[in-house]
Amino acid sequence: MIRRKHTLAAAVVVSAALALTACGGEAPASDLSSVKIMAPFLEAQPPTADGAVQKKLEELTGKDVNITWTPNASYEDKMNITLASSDIPHVLVVQGKTPGFVKNAEAGAFWDLTDKLKDYPNLKTTFPEVQQNASVNGKVYGVYRGRNPIRAAVMFRQDWLDKLGLKAPETTEDLYKVAKAFTEQDPDGNGQNDTYGITIPKWGGLGTNSPYDLVETWYGAGNRWAERDGKLVPSFETDEFLEANRFIKKMVDEKLINPDFATFDSTKWNEPFFNGKGGIIIDVDSRASVLINLFKQANPNDFQNKVGFVGSLKGPDGELHAHPTDGYSGFLAIPKSSVKTEADLKNVLTFLDKLNSKEAAVLINNGIEGVNFNVVDGLAATIKPETPEGKAVNTDIKSFAQLGTNVTGNNFYPVKQASEYEQKVFDDRVAVMAKDLKSAVYNPAAAFVSPTYVAKGAQLDNIVADARIKYLAGQTDEQGLKDAIKLWNTSGGDKVKEEINKLWQDNKK
Amino acid sequence: MKIHNTRGGRVFDAANYVFLSLVGIITLLPFVYVLAGSFANEAEITRRAFFVWPEQFTLSAYEYIFSTPAFTKALVTTVLVTLVGTLIQLILTVTMAYPLAKKNLRGRKLIMSLVVFAMVFSGGMIPTFLLVKDLGLLNTYWALILPAAINPFSLIIIKNFFQELPDELEESAKMDGATEIGILWRILLPLSKPVLATFALFYAVGIWNDFMSPLLYLSDNNMWTLQMYLRQVTAASDLLGTGNVDPSYIPPEQGIKFAVIVVATLPILIFYPFLQKHFAKGMLIGSVKG
Amino acid sequence: MTAPVVEAKASERVAAKPPAPRRRRGFAVHFAHYKWLYLLLLPGVLYFAVFRYGPMYGVSIAFKDYVPFLGVNGSPWVGVTNFTDFFANPDFPQLLGNTLILAFLNLGIAFPLTIILALLLNEVRLSVLKRTVQTLVYIPHFLSWTIVASLSFLLFALDIGPLFQFVNGLFGTNVDILSDPNWFRPLIVLQEIWKNTGWGTIIFLAALATVDQDQYEAAIIDGAGRFRRVWHITLPGIRSTIIVMLILAIGQMLNTGFEQIYLMTNALNRSVADVFDTYVYFVGITQGAYSYSTAVGLFKSLVGIVLIFGTNWLSKRFNQSGLF
Repeated sequence: MIRRKHTLAAAVVVSAALALTACGGEAPASDLSSVKIMAPFLEAQPPTADGAVQKKLEELTGKDVNITWTPNASYEDKMNITLASSDIPHVLVVQGKTPGFVKNAEAGAFWDLTDKLKDYPNLKTTFPEVQQNASVNGKVYGVYRGRNPIRAAVMFRQDWLDKLGLKAPETTEDLYKVAKAFTEQDPDGNGQNDTYGITIPKWGGLGTNSPYDLVETWYGAGNRWAERDGKLVPSFETDEFLEANRFIKKMVDEKLINPDFATFDSTKWNEPFFNGKGGIIIDVDSRASVLINLFKQANPNDFQNKVGFVGSLKGPDGELHAHPTDGYSGFLAIPKSSVKTEADLKNVLTFLDKLNSKEAAVLINNGIEGVNFNVVDGLAATIKPETPEGKAVNTDIKSFAQLGTNVTGNNFYPVKQASEYEQKVFDDRVAVMAKDLKSAVYNPAAAFVSPTYVAKGAQLDNIVADARIKYLAGQTDEQGLKDAIKLWNTSGGDKVKEEINKLWQDNKK
Repeated sequence: MKIHNTRGGRVFDAANYVFLSLVGIITLLPFVYVLAGSFANEAEITRRAFFVWPEQFTLSAYEYIFSTPAFTKALVTTVLVTLVGTLIQLILTVTMAYPLAKKNLRGRKLIMSLVVFAMVFSGGMIPTFLLVKDLGLLNTYWALILPAAINPFSLIIIKNFFQELPDELEESAKMDGATEIGILWRILLPLSKPVLATFALFYAVGIWNDFMSPLLYLSDNNMWTLQMYLRQVTAASDLLGTGNVDPSYIPPEQGIKFAVIVVATLPILIFYPFLQKHFAKGMLIGSVKG
Repeated sequence: MTAPVVEAKASERVAAKPPAPRRRRGFAVHFAHYKWLYLLLLPGVLYFAVFRYGPMYGVSIAFKDYVPFLGVNGSPWVGVTNFTDFFANPDFPQLLGNTLILAFLNLGIAFPLTIILALLLNEVRLSVLKRTVQTLVYIPHFLSWTIVASLSFLLFALDIGPLFQFVNGLFGTNVDILSDPNWFRPLIVLQEIWKNTGWGTIIFLAALATVDQDQYEAAIIDGAGRFRRVWHITLPGIRSTIIVMLILAIGQMLNTGFEQIYLMTNALNRSVADVFDTYVYFVGITQGAYSYSTAVGLFKSLVGIVLIFGTNWLSKRFNQSGLF
């Protein structure tokens, strides 16, 4: 059981690579009959190599597909090891513009696809601004994996709101009122003062879509960077940033927010909401469905009026500054050491083009029609009860969806929800997100990679992120927060600003 | 041997027993919670902060993780690799430790210094990976066993233990015409059972808990060991709150997480009681000499 | 009365040593005499040469600007900039201080507790209890830091955690233990004790199993009590194990671990929580500075090797027993 041979496909790739080096790079284009991909999986287990989804995918693309599924937890380690070895896949899922990726890209590890993608109908993006966000200073090193940019939502206990006769919040001021009522007016009617408004867990750095970031954007502080007097400044240098944090601090001081917000375990975020302690969560909208599922599991007959939600809130200026993400989650990059010639590159791009065709998008996101889902009113309805084949497909697509790029929009079917109520919630979510998209405040510096920020950014941002929490917790005053921002500047932030502004100006030309 | 107990001794015994029982309970409880949680549904885990018995008993988490053959396969693989690997590693360590225990063997000090140096310094992940690759060990189970074959720490302790054994044992065996290997096999090893059992356990646990080796050296997920799955479910949800996670990602349910922990931990926990009998007193030097 | 026994053994060993062979010809004789021993040594030496020293060139990463794509050899040299940057870093004193304090707390509290627990277990004559407790105390070693952290969050939760109430009741205070910088170190040491003390006893229990039983009988005849037997027989019997373990622990003391500390760090306690290992994570992983983090690792290794050789030398001077 100890000895095991390399898989045949791997051997083919290796010998192909050897043949190429032997011919000094002038080799005739190999037809790359097998495409090797490295991708993360997020589920409890990866798909099986001989599964139905993979077979169908090979049929659709006309290639042998050989996917190395790697646990998400240590993906970057495995990626760096892989890049240092000679056995490199043709397509590499890169999870984000990490400093490690930028270094490799600038050293020439990946093909520059900036001028190439437009030649492929399914890769020519219909969201050029997202492609720009995903680029490194304008250079496109991969086919981005599109994500709905609007995710911000305020979720609240609908039953509490109804009981207190309140309306769903529309502005940050409404949020305050609802939080105050949830704290002080005994929304669960047990006669005790044992509830509070908003639950905020321990959260990492700046610009990570934390509840703090969201409120700041709603206040008009921009999204990571904001334009002020013709220059880009970090959001935390705007007046709105301070106003937003004064607002949050007021809620902390009035005990409308859980007092242990600096340490609260983020994996337990649902608990106070579900257990009727804290009535509001500010997070991505998909949490709404997780919460609804919890209530459904606890009582399948009474779960429809527990969870309410709205999107981004209007700020004190009466305007809606919706908080979007950068609209992508990493990209599919093509390493130069495995794909050596332009002809090979064309081959791989053709493969990726097919991977983003409607048929393939449906396959990797919905599954196989008639096996695990049927199309009902333009929605993918999961076949119940699950057959063993259907179950396998349902498990596999959760991982295969990681290969989806959707740069021309979502070409697959939305999933039909389990009940009428859940379908309504889902439709509402879609509607809210569509509305917020019109007022989205994007990060104007998303595409720009400043060398100083690559080298020091994480440490620099911690200075301000920690000061923000200390200010909210009352361990430092507003001057302390301002001092921390000054320290950010003197520790290297000045240079980051300079570099980002230069890139921004150059890009405008 | 019966030790006469004084009154003070009995009081001490009673206090000691109570104290150790408490320690035992404190160390056991969290695992019981994990076990109970693996049989509970998400709503119950969310509602109850801590429990040792689920109100609504469900097997759904186990059904999920055993719904594909992957888990069962990984379990079998892990057990086999652990058993074979432990044996190989233990043999290599003991054969190296024995000569090093001879105080008059030349070069011994140099080798020991190099061993200690290698314990503290390492070339790092990437050169080791390239070496494993060049040796043709990628995608073989040897890659999980050989790179960590001799743990310097274990080597030093075993060597010191051999050194402690009385020399007259060997002297008399030599007079009877035994070879060095014969002495090691027939005299030292039987005497060293507690120590060998200890390091068998250390090596077994090392292989069992190893996550980086399968991650880096095995690309074929048919070959994976349990830790790959364990880390996947326990680490994925930790990323929440760091902004490093795909916003559309919904973490696995707690119950599944707990069930994976149980499946990946229970077999190695059961291993210990089997080794425990070798820790028993009485069969050792004292009795051999007498 | 026990010390002479040990010393007698030691002197026997010295006496048994053959006369030292001479020079080169002497070595041939020596080698021929011990050929079986050298043969036994061979696989181990090969292993160290190939798997431990073979990749050692990777240490050069610390003196380069390493980019995975360019490889170890292809990345440009940068000299000692990574080291000078590290030592000149304004955070360096704080990192060093935090690391050392945690290291000494672990060494001073967790290490002796392991021995005490092993001794207590060794005193148990009720076999069922002994075996059960032994098995139970080693379970936590197998639970990940994630689980330990989430249990800590549960037990010390503000206002409602049972240990929050207990500790604050004890001291008559009302502090949030999870975020208070003063409580960070006790919390880390407590977690370490809970998770690894039981596991650490294994090696001492194995050593205790080899303590000569005859000596106990002699001591009982002499009328020695429980405590005196432990002090005069048991502890000297495992002295060399304790010393070896201590030297090894001292050599590893700068490795405070990353995961545990990372999980327990938050904005309010970071000033006491940042240690070398978390810093390496931030710089190396989050910021992709592999060379820089390798340099920090190399610095830690250097300190470790100095500590090991130093304590080994000291121990040999005073005790005549050590690592090698």
